[in-house]
Amino acid sequence: MGIFSKDNSASTDADPLHIIIVGCGKVGHTLIAQLSREGDDITIIDESEQKISDITNQYDVMGIVGNGASYSVQKEAGIDDTDLLVAVTDSDELNLLCCTIATRIGKCSAIARVRNPEYSTEINYLRDRLGLAMIINPEMEAAMEVARILYLPSALEVNTFAHGEAQMIKFRVKEDSRIVGKAVHTVARESRNVLFTTVFHDGRAYIPNGDYIFSPGDTVSFVTSRHNGKNALKSLGVPTANVRDCMIIGGGKAAYYLAAQLIRESISVKIIERDQKRCEQLSSLLPNAIIINGDGTSADLLKEEGIETVDAFVPLTGIDEENILLTLHAKRVSEAKVVTKINRFAFQDVIDSLDLGSVVYPRIITSEAIIAYARAKRASMDSNIETLYHMYNDTVEAIEFRIGAPSAVTGVPLKDLKLRGHLMVSFISRDGTIIFPKGDDTIEVGDTVMIVTTHTGFSDIVDILA
Amino acid sequence: MNQSIIKYILGKVLEIVGLLMVIPMITGIIYHEEEAFSFLFVGVLSFAIGCFTTRKKPSNTMFYLKEGCVVTSLSWILISVVGAIPFMLTGEIPNFIDAWFETASGFTTTGASILTDVEAISHTSLMWRSFTHWIGGMGVLVFLLAVIPMSGGSNINLMRAESPGPSVGKLVPKIKSSAAILYRIYLGMTVVQFVLLVIARMPAFDALCITFGSAGTGGFGVRNDSCGSYSALQQWITGVFCVLFGVNFNFYYFLIAREPKKSFRMEEVRVYFGIIGASVIIIFFNIMGMFNNALDALRAAFFQVGSIITTTGYSSVDFDLWPTLSKAILVMLMFIGACAGSTGGGFKVSRAIIASKTVFKEANSYIHPKSVKKIKMDGEVIEHDVLRSVNVYTITYLAIFIVSVLLVSIEGKDLVTSFTSVAATFNNIGPGLAKVGPAANYDCLSYFSKIVLTLDMIAGRLELFPLIILFHPAVLKEIFIRKKCSQRAS
Repeated sequence: MGIFSKDNSASTDADPLHIIIVGCGKVGHTLIAQLSREGDDITIIDESEQKISDITNQYDVMGIVGNGASYSVQKEAGIDDTDLLVAVTDSDELNLLCCTIATRIGKCSAIARVRNPEYSTEINYLRDRLGLAMIINPEMEAAMEVARILYLPSALEVNTFAHGEAQMIKFRVKEDSRIVGKAVHTVARESRNVLFTTVFHDGRAYIPNGDYIFSPGDTVSFVTSRHNGKNALKSLGVPTANVRDCMIIGGGKAAYYLAAQLIRESISVKIIERDQKRCEQLSSLLPNAIIINGDGTSADLLKEEGIETVDAFVPLTGIDEENILLTLHAKRVSEAKVVTKINRFAFQDVIDSLDLGSVVYPRIITSEAIIAYARAKRASMDSNIETLYHMYNDTVEAIEFRIGAPSAVTGVPLKDLKLRGHLMVSFISRDGTIIFPKGDDTIEVGDTVMIVTTHTGFSDIVDILA
Repeated sequence: MNQSIIKYILGKVLEIVGLLMVIPMITGIIYHEEEAFSFLFVGVLSFAIGCFTTRKKPSNTMFYLKEGCVVTSLSWILISVVGAIPFMLTGEIPNFIDAWFETASGFTTTGASILTDVEAISHTSLMWRSFTHWIGGMGVLVFLLAVIPMSGGSNINLMRAESPGPSVGKLVPKIKSSAAILYRIYLGMTVVQFVLLVIARMPAFDALCITFGSAGTGGFGVRNDSCGSYSALQQWITGVFCVLFGVNFNFYYFLIAREPKKSFRMEEVRVYFGIIGASVIIIFFNIMGMFNNALDALRAAFFQVGSIITTTGYSSVDFDLWPTLSKAILVMLMFIGACAGSTGGGFKVSRAIIASKTVFKEANSYIHPKSVKKIKMDGEVIEHDVLRSVNVYTITYLAIFIVSVLLVSIEGKDLVTSFTSVAATFNNIGPGLAKVGPAANYDCLSYFSKIVLTLDMIAGRLELFPLIILFHPAVLKEIFIRKKCSQRAS
């Protein structure tokens, strides 16, 4: 973070949005960092004077100390001119109240974070009835991401687009991989329906052209259709076995969501949780899971419960240090696929150097969804961002645009469009089918289009033009 | 300590000073004065050095309060030195210490002069003298924040170090917009005053210099009798605008933002006008006998009170000849100073309010030893940290004041001169009493005293701590001993 703005941001010419963020916890903090980098005018509200002064010292935002659900505090924060209010305090109910009041006073959109599983089934009802723009549940999103990775255990990361019809899969090229030394276009020809979007080599991310030659240690992302993930990985020399059982350490909300999802996919689940009461709760919520009451950080207990033979191991405790140590331990003693959840974002370079394999960051998932919404709001009314992912330390963005109206990019064959460099039109989704575009394909109204680029801050599909 | 960013910002400051010298250059061209060449030379040189140091953006742009203080103090010392060079080149103020005193007095909006005959100075140099007031009033770094594209929150540390007042907040979420709003208000009011003075038939050159002087609450005049020879109307306009520039600028922001309720709820502004009103009335009755008619006495009382409390330091009459009561009130006003967040100097009305409230609270706790009472201002509780900082500020302020009086008294001038010369420079006012009174100037002091007073001016303008931080052993060590790790961090 520096005091001089980056020049490569495409969003600087747009009018800044006025955004109020209530709650400066972990998610709030990430959001402030990301949104202030996007150039928006941000006002933050928190009850803690200390937190406000810390954040206003670090970011160019205005801080107000007070209760975000209070009418007068919202007035003071300028709710009348605000475009978007995001409530991410610790309390679900307070978040909902903040948003409800905000939508009643001002004309702003409101996004609330609601994490409690008791509300999770009623999310859509709550959202529509309370007039909210979005309800986000980082714990559930994180669990879903873990579940997607466990479905393709040899992948590092799996992100979905086009309502799950397409997925972007990230994997690491091993020393003995059959694609080492081959060029992108050769490998792409050998394996059908695969489009390489990004290569991470020597600490930098690239959008590869056909001549790039894979070398061991590269991290590669590719796009493929929903059912092709396993085959694609296999053809790339990364065979994938099925996960049949999974051990989860820590019985928090994310663990519940993950366990429920895995049981739905008939994977057997074992949860180790320290708190007796929580164990009983989980046992009634998840009758098909094995609930163990014990200390998940004890190596003996883990051995006894079979960490050496389990297919997947997911530490989901609330403490990052524990999660990281558990991951390292599991990598030593077992062959299991390990997915690590990291809540805070401190010491990122240390975490990167540890080679943890798959890592999910609930806070980032949340802030990506909100930034996608904010950017779409900043752009013209007829364009919309469906999904946004930040990849490779925020140097690459994968954005899915919904094309709502004719523009300079619609109806023109791709080969005739003057696109920016370091950018790739990865797929076009039309009527539920995924098209990997060739030069003669066109973008039409009603499509969704996925763009992968190292430029940051795209908010409209026309930003892809040079 | 991040030296590269400090160097970069100092380079930017040099560039800006170079650019600002265009104003006296133009004046010199209009009046066909060869002094313009001195400004051209220094301006181009300063701009070139600035460009050279800022040719590369530093990779590590992170800076904290410490860096903010250091860069602010260094910038102010730098601009006062660079701004002094043209005076030496033109030969109007040949001695460096004199020129430095004069320029520092300009940038810090003090208005204390060592010139015995202002009317003998070229228009070019007079314009530069007055223009430094205008720049120094709102602050060079705030100007930098308003015009240079910076992002990130850490530059609030720059604004914090330079802006007067116990707590610094932003008007709008982005610091660049906040700084731009402040400068827009400032520029707008400056233009209004200039136009009014021209309508009141003041010569355009005088009007511009007087406007710069009152906008920055500086006080350099262009005539030997300061404002004495201007007409009654011109004096009224100048007096009123001095008072207006001493108001906390948030007041104007709320007015523009159509929230007049918030404006008039500001306790500081109300107290400020209260003090002015009371002082004017007392002085008016005290000096009435010295004037032929009551209106003249009222005008003199108002002009002087407005000019002193805002720390401008213009004079319409020689108030050194006034009765002791009036002089005592004026000296008291010197210490109170203007509102926080204005262009004025001094102790600041808001600090005075907070300090007196703590005294009442303390007294109250003798009567009800277990009572719990929070001190409030504008209806909001004042955080303990702010209270503590006001108390510490008061002590530091007194300590520096006493030491400075001691140092100035070495040369053996009378006590009133020594005392008021420090009071008038430390609070950025200008004229004191006796030998440094409105009819005299600071030329009579020794070079040693001038150096002490120059540092006092800068310390007073920056509200003590940034300059103290600069001389803190730990900071000095970091500045002079370059640590290897500072280059690696990013």
